[in-house]
Amino acid sequence: MIVNRLKLLVGGVQLRDGVTTVTDVLGKIFTRAGLYTLAEEKGYASTIYGAHQFDPMVTSDQPVISHADDLIDVLVALEFDVNPDAPDQPNRDTILRHGGKVADRGILLYDSSAGTVPVRDLEARKVKVFPLPARTIAQRDLKMEVVKNTIFVGALFRVLEFDMDQKYLRQLIEERFLRKGQKVVDINLEAARRGMDAIEKGLTEQGWKDTGYRLEPRPTSEKRAYISGTDTLCMGAIDAGCRFYAGYPITPASGILEFMEQHLPRYGGRALQGQNERESIRAAIGAALAGVRSATGSSGPGISLKVEEIGAAATTETAIVIIDAMRAGPSTGMPTKSEQGDLGLVCFGAAGDIPRIVLAPATTEECYTIMYDAFNYADKYQCPVFVLTDLTLMDGRKTIPEDFFTRSRVRIDRGAIVREEDIRKAGGYKRYAITDHGISPRLIPGTPGAVFKASGAEHDEHGFVTTEAARRRAMMEKRMRKLETYLAEDVRPPQVFGKPDGVPVLVGWGSSKTVLLDAQAGLQKAGTAVCVIHFSHLWPFPTAVAKPLFDKASAVIVCEQNFVGQFADVIQQHCLIPARRIVKYNGRPFYPSDIIRGVREIVRNGRQIYRVGEEGPVMPAQVTEGDM
Amino acid sequence: MATKPAIAKIWEENATPRHRIQWCPGCGDFGVLAGVKMALTQLELTPSGVFLIGGIGCSGQIRNYLNGNGFHGTHGGALAYALGVKMANPELQVIAMAGDGDTLAIGMENFVHACRRNAEIVLIIMNNGVYGLTKGQNSPTAGLGRDLSQMEFSEESPPPVDPLRLALVSGATFAAQSFSGDPKHAAEVYIEAIKHPGFAMVNDFSPCVTYNKFNTYEWFREHGEHIPEGHDASDFKKAWALLDEFEARGKLPLGVVYRHPRAKKEAKRLPMWPEELKPVDLEPMIKAFR
Repeated sequence: MIVNRLKLLVGGVQLRDGVTTVTDVLGKIFTRAGLYTLAEEKGYASTIYGAHQFDPMVTSDQPVISHADDLIDVLVALEFDVNPDAPDQPNRDTILRHGGKVADRGILLYDSSAGTVPVRDLEARKVKVFPLPARTIAQRDLKMEVVKNTIFVGALFRVLEFDMDQKYLRQLIEERFLRKGQKVVDINLEAARRGMDAIEKGLTEQGWKDTGYRLEPRPTSEKRAYISGTDTLCMGAIDAGCRFYAGYPITPASGILEFMEQHLPRYGGRALQGQNERESIRAAIGAALAGVRSATGSSGPGISLKVEEIGAAATTETAIVIIDAMRAGPSTGMPTKSEQGDLGLVCFGAAGDIPRIVLAPATTEECYTIMYDAFNYADKYQCPVFVLTDLTLMDGRKTIPEDFFTRSRVRIDRGAIVREEDIRKAGGYKRYAITDHGISPRLIPGTPGAVFKASGAEHDEHGFVTTEAARRRAMMEKRMRKLETYLAEDVRPPQVFGKPDGVPVLVGWGSSKTVLLDAQAGLQKAGTAVCVIHFSHLWPFPTAVAKPLFDKASAVIVCEQNFVGQFADVIQQHCLIPARRIVKYNGRPFYPSDIIRGVREIVRNGRQIYRVGEEGPVMPAQVTEGDM
Repeated sequence: MATKPAIAKIWEENATPRHRIQWCPGCGDFGVLAGVKMALTQLELTPSGVFLIGGIGCSGQIRNYLNGNGFHGTHGGALAYALGVKMANPELQVIAMAGDGDTLAIGMENFVHACRRNAEIVLIIMNNGVYGLTKGQNSPTAGLGRDLSQMEFSEESPPPVDPLRLALVSGATFAAQSFSGDPKHAAEVYIEAIKHPGFAMVNDFSPCVTYNKFNTYEWFREHGEHIPEGHDASDFKKAWALLDEFEARGKLPLGVVYRHPRAKKEAKRLPMWPEELKPVDLEPMIKAFR
């Protein structure tokens, strides 16, 4: 019996089958029952209706480290009928796509309304298969088709011997449906019971006394939220004082705009849906000029369109936070797949040389905390600060104790602002005063006694345009000096897990951290010690703290989700060491097994680069459209 | 509070003590500068409460010749920056000043939506029909006053855009036209624009003496004509008919063509001072995730 350790995958037809409705209910209820859930692999398609969708989740009574490998304990296939995307596979599309990943002795639960599916190969591996005519029960017996998903939830709970008295389910259903009337609540609870009964019957028929898996509640007085990176990032931004946000709809950054539109007004702020990517960042720059903590966000294609304004913000020394929720590029790429391909864009995209800071959260929790840093640095250094996150983090959901948020607060520091009395004392004001640290105190427009002139054209200390050689040099150096100040005063060194001395070092940034830690544990078990060094402050690159760590390693292996190894290039350039690479760019997240395999290839065979999936065929003879 | 003569002095002084004004002698933009100074003086605005946004090109320099806060970003962006400034702090008087290429070519996307959004921003298009600073290429208003029936159009040289008509169909609540060769009249128009509680567009004919040899001061004097006093600017159909009527006579209307304020939600200055930014109550945000 496996208790409280489970990877579950729910699949079906997008929009029609309610895949995420089911996983949302499961994640919430497991969280309320004191279990931890992580659902950050996202299988949705860039279409509204009809494509295959899947949503894996890991649940445990211990905080979950990573989404782990793509092996499944419990597969739930919701499609009751033909997937329009795969017409020749009535109600077995999810099974065909994911059945091969179900663990031996795992579980399959599928809608058999359209008939039973041949699953001999799964049964041969002792997978317990439960056909469940959920849609038929819902339509014929309960006269309400939408409750088919509740039937599945009830069935799944019976499979897991979880919430058999409907304590958690009843509470959630009442919250959601009581306003629609007691009848709706009762039908849903009845639906869940029908699901349970069907499993009961299946167990009896097969002579199984249990399914081999169980989830046990771990009641706790601690309040916990089941929440996404988009939500924690926005909460962090608002708590850090962001009062203006402008964005343009784009996957996977639209959620930020929606959250801000819903919540910013409550805190006295405003959120603007720009008419395009440029209006968004320009309005955000305008708000920042007026003195507000201001941010914009997008994904790679939109950030590309904002590049000119990034230069303008840096040169006018405007404090702005830019969130890049990365998806797979290049160009439109794969809008619903995660990647780490925009590092080069945010570190180098702009005309000329500009000061900028790039931060990358590693976890859902860090999406929250990093926003304090982002806004504090933007104000202190008066330059664009990028928050480089990705689809995995933004859409992924996780159980987080709520006191984490209040515990992790950082003081708001708006940096050097001149007030009326400062102007009087100084007898004037120079917007771009040359200083040792490169930071020139700024003026909130409206402050009596002074005005500022800000320009994206090269300028003197007053902000007036100049091309005079000495003034240009002084101003360029002043701006860039801010980065030295940042490296001296604020940059966070990478997190080091293990000791780098004489062992291979796995380097990561952003969302790959948890997978690297899982891979490290896996390698350790197999007798290979590795050290993990993870960066969340990426640019300007902290060479002084990073290089001594790398110099101790037997090999530096940078793991990232892009084709060339963009961060590896940065490390190689700054530390003058060869950076080897494990790269993955097939639109799927890193799995710990990818890293373990890559480390073996590199360490044993002296390889420079390992491309995940390289041992597979170049191009499968027959490609099934949609996601596996 | 400064006295009126003191305010006049502040606005009359150039903000650029060391800075030579970089317009060609006789440039129409001098007239816009004079007109804006008159308007700001007349309205007794204080520089610290004024936010000027300049476009890219010759016209954009005006932000530095005037007192008041000034910003200069990218080509086509003036109105979008202005939107952000105004949304953040409605107490600031925000004036965007940009050329016809800036506003109607690369910045067209912002122009149309500024008309719709109706933020309380003044836009003065310093319209000369050319890209002057890059040495005289055609702008979207090139061809003004030419006999269109005699012209041979092509993809490379289409007929001109009329900013007034574009503003009207885009939902602008204030549209006016002025001529920088008559700064006193232009100042009157600017004052009306500044007083308007919404987006106010002024298309100012500001001759380029170097690169536009057709739309000269003389040409504008001959073709410009003040809008008759009895014109009912609050009526959209009458505004449109006025444009038709002037066009039929080959004349350019000067003055307020259309003015029809649109009711909208009151907005407050956003919290920005450190003392206004305290840790917030997270409960309303987090409760949906339990």
